Amino acid sequence: MVQLLNELGLSREVSHKLLYDMLEIRKFEELVEKLFQQGKVHGTMHLCIGQEATAVGACYALSNKDMITSTHRGHGHSLAKGMQADRMLAELLGKETGYCKGKGGSMHIADLDVGNLGANGIVAAGLPLGVGAALTSKMKNLGYVVLCFFGDGATNEGAFHEALNLASIWDLPIVFFCENNLYAMSASITEMTRVKNIADRSTAYGIEGITIDGNDILQVIQTASAAVEKARNGGGPTLIEAHTYRWKGHSKSDARKYRSREEEQKWKKEHDPITNFIEQLKFANYISEEELQSIQDQVENNLKHALEFAENSPEPSIDSLTEDIYTGEVNV
Amino acid sequence: MATDVIMPKMGATMEEGTIVTWFLNKGDYVEEGSPIAEIQTDKIAIEIEAEVSGTLLHTCYEAGETVKVHEVIAYIGEKDELIEDSNSSKKMEVIEQVKEKEQVLPPPSTAENFQKIRRTPAARVLANEHRIDLSEVSGTGPNGRIEKKDVLHFINSKKKITPLASKIAAAENLDIENIAGTGAYQKITKKDLMLPKTSEKSKPLKGMRKVIADRMSQSAFTAPHVTITSEIDMTSCINLRKELLPEIERSTGLRLSFNEILLFATAKTLSKHPNMNASIIDDYIVEHESINIGFAVSVEDGLLVPVVKDANKLGLTELTAACKELGLLAREGKLLPHHLEEGTFTISNLGMYAVDSFTPIINQPQSAILGVGRIVEKPAVINKAIEIRSMMVLSLSFDHRLIDGAPAAAFLTDLKEILENPMKLLL
Amino acid sequence: MRTVTYAEAIRETMSQAMRQDEDVFILGEDIGIYGGAFGVTNGMLEEFGPERVRITPISESAISGCAVGAAMTGMRPILEIQFSDFVMIALDNIVNQAAKTRYMYGGKSKVPLVVRLPGGSGAGFAAQHSQSLEAWMTHVPGLKVVQPSSAYDAKGLLLSAIKDDNPVLFYEHKLLYNVKDEVPEELYEIPLGKAEVKKQGTDITIVATSIMVQRAMEAAEQLEKIGVSVEVIDPRTLVPLDIETIIQSVKKTSRVLVVYEAVKRSGYGAEIASVIAESEAFDYLDAPIKRLGGVATPIPYNPTLEKAAVPQVEDIINECKKIMNL
Repeated sequence: MVQLLNELGLSREVSHKLLYDMLEIRKFEELVEKLFQQGKVHGTMHLCIGQEATAVGACYALSNKDMITSTHRGHGHSLAKGMQADRMLAELLGKETGYCKGKGGSMHIADLDVGNLGANGIVAAGLPLGVGAALTSKMKNLGYVVLCFFGDGATNEGAFHEALNLASIWDLPIVFFCENNLYAMSASITEMTRVKNIADRSTAYGIEGITIDGNDILQVIQTASAAVEKARNGGGPTLIEAHTYRWKGHSKSDARKYRSREEEQKWKKEHDPITNFIEQLKFANYISEEELQSIQDQVENNLKHALEFAENSPEPSIDSLTEDIYTGEVNV
Repeated sequence: MATDVIMPKMGATMEEGTIVTWFLNKGDYVEEGSPIAEIQTDKIAIEIEAEVSGTLLHTCYEAGETVKVHEVIAYIGEKDELIEDSNSSKKMEVIEQVKEKEQVLPPPSTAENFQKIRRTPAARVLANEHRIDLSEVSGTGPNGRIEKKDVLHFINSKKKITPLASKIAAAENLDIENIAGTGAYQKITKKDLMLPKTSEKSKPLKGMRKVIADRMSQSAFTAPHVTITSEIDMTSCINLRKELLPEIERSTGLRLSFNEILLFATAKTLSKHPNMNASIIDDYIVEHESINIGFAVSVEDGLLVPVVKDANKLGLTELTAACKELGLLAREGKLLPHHLEEGTFTISNLGMYAVDSFTPIINQPQSAILGVGRIVEKPAVINKAIEIRSMMVLSLSFDHRLIDGAPAAAFLTDLKEILENPMKLLL
Repeated sequence: MRTVTYAEAIRETMSQAMRQDEDVFILGEDIGIYGGAFGVTNGMLEEFGPERVRITPISESAISGCAVGAAMTGMRPILEIQFSDFVMIALDNIVNQAAKTRYMYGGKSKVPLVVRLPGGSGAGFAAQHSQSLEAWMTHVPGLKVVQPSSAYDAKGLLLSAIKDDNPVLFYEHKLLYNVKDEVPEELYEIPLGKAEVKKQGTDITIVATSIMVQRAMEAAEQLEKIGVSVEVIDPRTLVPLDIETIIQSVKKTSRVLVVYEAVKRSGYGAEIASVIAESEAFDYLDAPIKRLGGVATPIPYNPTLEKAAVPQVEDIINECKKIMNL
């Protein structure tokens, strides 16, 4: 494991940053859950608690100019790609200072400035969009790679298959990253597909497919980095399947009747990506207790300020209802 | 066109009046006969009523101001109308003031609002503008729907009358069908009823009378008429007639009259004076080839002028026959159009009346007309001695556009010569 | 001036735009060597090569999403949907993604996408290849919808669509592809959202779209002979709609007939009729607003039935006569 750390060239500092990022996601989601329970958040939300490693690890493999497409469960991806907690919270609270001026909300949160092409309310919709973004990179020789996040459920949508096929025939600089958390809302993936590993679907498109433990951030970094480099060098797309688990329900109205509490507990206790990584770091002497505490405090502090910012931000004006429907002046 | 409201002269001595109160504001609608303002004269206070219905467009003076009689103090017309201030010749725009009053107008017909009458929006708007009750309009659209053209038809055909005029017409038992309205929206006003002050007989100017009226006017106002007269010694003609009468009577059964002798002589003279037998046609002076002489025949309520064609080519006998026949046809009302057409000269004989001379009006498009007076026995100088002679005056009116005085006089002189010396007819 | 067909005009516009701007490229099924199902892209592969004339698999979902993603990241794609009926599979990317991205992202991102769709009936392709469903697109905020009725209009409108930074649905009509018109060689733009009075008249206004413009003009000629003066208006763009031009015309004539090929029920002409009824033109109407649209049936195969399913010239003439009480 230490070997892996060395192989990947991760310094102490970098590993602390990775840990910080994962903790930030965890705490952010917990905070948001609390806000929802307090009735401060409109609509619903899809929490990714338990899936921090895939988000942070995969995004670590990307450079600033690379892009991601995300899913309805996109808070983690967004933070990992470089979006700030304060403006994200503001968006979740529907404020004008949010990333989408309060017009997008949780499911449509995006920031093209950091290469996040956006969360999406439509399952698998991000894949064809990602293919398009990759096409631009290739046609204009911009050299960036697109990494598409999607879940196990998305792999049954036609869009998944069409996108993989299109990306493969055009050799596009794209990585298809599947976060297999075993359930598509309430549907168990084992019941919804005959294929044992989602990664096996790659053969249908003549591309490489790999299955990994998505809760081991080092594995994620290793696999993702390789795939990204391959894509960047013209080697075409890769399908990565990362096994993980979402601790919470699909959304806020999920009673989770489709899985057992035992299963949940098992995953929480034995496969928590954050505690796993902390153990790895401690084992490798990459972190002290003080440093750990410091990181945790920083996360708490950051989030406290983020919440203040969000709560003190103004609501959007009523005029913004009809703003930005079109680009440019349009008289409709 | 806006109607002036003037300071009325309510008494012979009234020089000016003071406006006490305006009962209406600019933009208000006023019905004919309703009071507009109270005026104080030197003697009394009186109310001025609106003479027409319409919108009070503008008031020229404020309450309290004193105005000379006959000066314009207000204007009534259609809303949004521009008016010319006749006092100071400045245009006054009152559109903004009227606009704010628009909402105050009551809906024109509540009946229409309640009974769901089928009508198009355009019809409804037009009906509102003209304050028409749509229940009175019949619709020609599908399902009896009233369309705009139906409303227009209604406006045009319905005789509109002001309440005041309507009352008067009813009281006087007048038929308003044929009366033209000159008030707002072409309503018949009191003025249009034109009530006669005494029991005069009146009848419409139409038919032959109207035709004559038009043609006489047209001739008199187009052609500059000059009339020259000449006294003719008809003694020789009288003798001529006496001698020829039995002959002609024997061959035609008709009695030769002075008409025919005059016609004959005129025809002969005209042939020597073609300039008197001409017309102005499209800026050209046309001397006619034929000499077609018309003679005026008086008929009931008018006159007709049958024409003897090529009169110069007819002998006196033929002429007599022609004239007598035409005269008969005229009096019996049996003249056909060709009898009356293509005349180039006219003779009008008033000699059967106590008329010596007159100024006949030219029968267009001819350029001269000969008026004939009565034959009177008068003393005349013959060879330096006074004798009783039969004298008659000829009045020749000519169109000075194409005939000057001298040529006309020459013609008349020649005609006189022939009539006084009939033997010259043989030449 | 030279005449070209509607198809040629569209090809010319795309080619000229692609020569001017490297970011413009076309993608679609069979648009390469085959030249497109209706021959619109004939010869373009040879000029621009396979990168910019991109043939795709039969994957409307992927290719439409790809077009949207490319547009979001700096390209200006023109997507050809082979038959407008096939857009169903692509609807999510058009309606849920392209139309909403800018709005959802609070003004960040734009989607300068053109989707070209051949629609309409009359070629015997029957129910699944003959529909006119542009009304669906007009219902979605964030989309613009264009329907050119002639080669001249097609060229100018397409260039404006390509230059527009919004997603534009460009509905072509199959039966118009071979119709010739005088078209200038140089590039010109016809602004989106501007109607055109194709013929002036005084008795009745016909608002017609796509191929119905041609049929309305023929009907107008016939009606002229019996003393009815018809004004024909082509909106050219459905969204945004040039309501002003239509209102002015109806105020002038006081009667209006809206003619469209789409099924009469909920076709876009219903929106046009409603907009007129709500406008100040209402007080000038001397007859009810009438619509003439397609019969509410899938398009049949038999040619007689096929024709009977949509308004023809005779239908327009008869409807006008009824409105005129003749």
